[in-house]
Amino acid sequence: MTFAVETDGLGYRAGKNFELRDVNLRVPTGAIYGFLGPNGAGKTTTIRLLLGLLQASGGRILVLGEPMPQSRVSVLSRVGYVPDRPHVHPTLTVAQSMELHAAFHVRWDAKWADELQQQFRLPRDRRVGSLSKGETGKLLMLLALAQRPDLLVLDEPTDGLDPVVRRDVLEALLAYVSDRQASVLISSHLVHELERICDWIGVMDEGSLVAELPMRDFKNGIKRLYVTGAPELLDERAPFTVLSRGPANAAVEQWLVRGWVPAMRDHVTSLGATVTDVIDLDLEEGFVELLRSFRDRP
Amino acid sequence: MFKAILKTQWQWTRMAVLLVAIAAFAMPLVSMTARIPLNQPRNFIANMQTWGVGYVALAAALGLAVAILAWSSDHRGHHVYAIALPVARWRYVLMRFSAGIVFLVPAVAALAVGARVAVSMFPIPQGLHAYPWALTARFGFAAVVAFAIFFAISSATARTAAYILGAIAAVFVAQFLTDAAGLQWQVVSHAVDLVMAYPGILAVFSGRWALIDV
Amino acid sequence: MFERLDPRSPVPLYAQIADAVRMAIAAGEVSEGSLLPSVRQLSAELRVNPATVVQAYRGLEEDGFVATRQGAGTFVQAVGKDLRTRERRNAARRLVRDLMRDARRLGLGPDDLQDAMDHELNGGGR
Repeated sequence: MTFAVETDGLGYRAGKNFELRDVNLRVPTGAIYGFLGPNGAGKTTTIRLLLGLLQASGGRILVLGEPMPQSRVSVLSRVGYVPDRPHVHPTLTVAQSMELHAAFHVRWDAKWADELQQQFRLPRDRRVGSLSKGETGKLLMLLALAQRPDLLVLDEPTDGLDPVVRRDVLEALLAYVSDRQASVLISSHLVHELERICDWIGVMDEGSLVAELPMRDFKNGIKRLYVTGAPELLDERAPFTVLSRGPANAAVEQWLVRGWVPAMRDHVTSLGATVTDVIDLDLEEGFVELLRSFRDRP
Repeated sequence: MFKAILKTQWQWTRMAVLLVAIAAFAMPLVSMTARIPLNQPRNFIANMQTWGVGYVALAAALGLAVAILAWSSDHRGHHVYAIALPVARWRYVLMRFSAGIVFLVPAVAALAVGARVAVSMFPIPQGLHAYPWALTARFGFAAVVAFAIFFAISSATARTAAYILGAIAAVFVAQFLTDAAGLQWQVVSHAVDLVMAYPGILAVFSGRWALIDV
Repeated sequence: MFERLDPRSPVPLYAQIADAVRMAIAAGEVSEGSLLPSVRQLSAELRVNPATVVQAYRGLEEDGFVATRQGAGTFVQAVGKDLRTRERRNAARRLVRDLMRDARRLGLGPDDLQDAMDHELNGGGR
């Protein structure tokens, strides 16, 4: 497996407080990698380090196979970036911003850029500074896509955008990815959105990469069980971990378990209980549970 | 790439350049309207030299404005856009610098035209000569020097800019302290002499800046 | 065809897409020879990973519901009567499975469901 992004022992310190500790990120080539984590976990910092906007205090970074920040010029020509805050010159018009971006990116697809501009309904002669939030978000995605990059690094690209704009932006992104097999690193708070499009998940919390795994493994990892006749106390020797338990209704209990496989039903039966249902958690619930269990570790 | 930088930077700079160009064109003309009698060459020259200060200030202002406007939009966005571009940093800085130099030209040209017109429109006292091209050259050179210095400060990180300004402040603080200690050291004037006098780079700003001279 | 796509469902998205296409074919909503949306189009429209659509189409091709022609697209194949019948049966079972899972969670049993079914079929609760 080749990787679009690889970090080894990446660390960062700013002032005396914030630290990024030993982050080992692996974004497989061609994957859509969802970057999750609470606010302040270090997602934006990691992204900035990857692109050479910040200087790491330790560790190694490879983007598209080349070391960063040493090879930043050749790497950045193949990376499309949508930052968490708009970075384009506010006094330029939409058309001028596109022209400027085109001048610096060899692979700029002018025809597609124009198509996207019309699809997104971006007024060519309006100044960027006076665009609405949604329009700005669409412009940033347009610039990143029309560059025809091999890797897209998107820092909360749909944050604060209304559902219609979000849909437009994601549609364009996915159309590009399916054409080009580009790799995508996308961080977002909108977990439900990531759930549809990501095949890999990386979770950050308090400066560390807490988990990194394929989406299907993430969803399979934690399950919700509906159990009838559950005993008061559970056997310590259970082959699975019960993260939490509580009543679902009068007759049925709801358990959150990790490491469950179907064969474990027998164990539950041996306790005198019955598993009536096994439900996969959706991404948001799984993410919350993962964080909770990670933070509660001794 | 340079063309795109030129175009966008001009957007931000053109207003200031236009204003300075108008002033640069007008200044020689206005200076000649002082109505000093032609049989008073000394007063004539004195008037010219007073206006000389105006040219110095205008050159410095031109350099300052073009330098600051080269970077103001980048500063506002914390340089994120520029740093994310696939271009070497030194090359990007060089492009901004070169564009700025180009933008000095219209104002300098305006002075050339204004000086030439002023000299041909108004009579000058016997024995005095007009130096419109010398004045223009001096102005142009001073604008370039001012631009270069302010560009360097403007493109530096906040920390470097702080160092430079701190060094300047230190000179004044030293003067204050030596004065307070009763020592008769001319710290500030020595520092200024060092920098301004020939062959110091700022020598262009001192000396005779007169359109009409002996 | 794809209104009921639910990323939170335990059924993987690729399977949901494939099921929806199969059901549409079995119900005659899409006729033999019609062209399915391209991977690019469908992934953008549904806002899902293109790999998901690829997987769905591949599964459908293996089951004989569609055929992909290089450069032309993915086309619906002629589907025999028994295949259609089987698909209808599968779709009904899926619905009932979901229903029974929800019912169990609410503590309702098959008898409760049967009562409700009769009530509905007799035009009640309109």
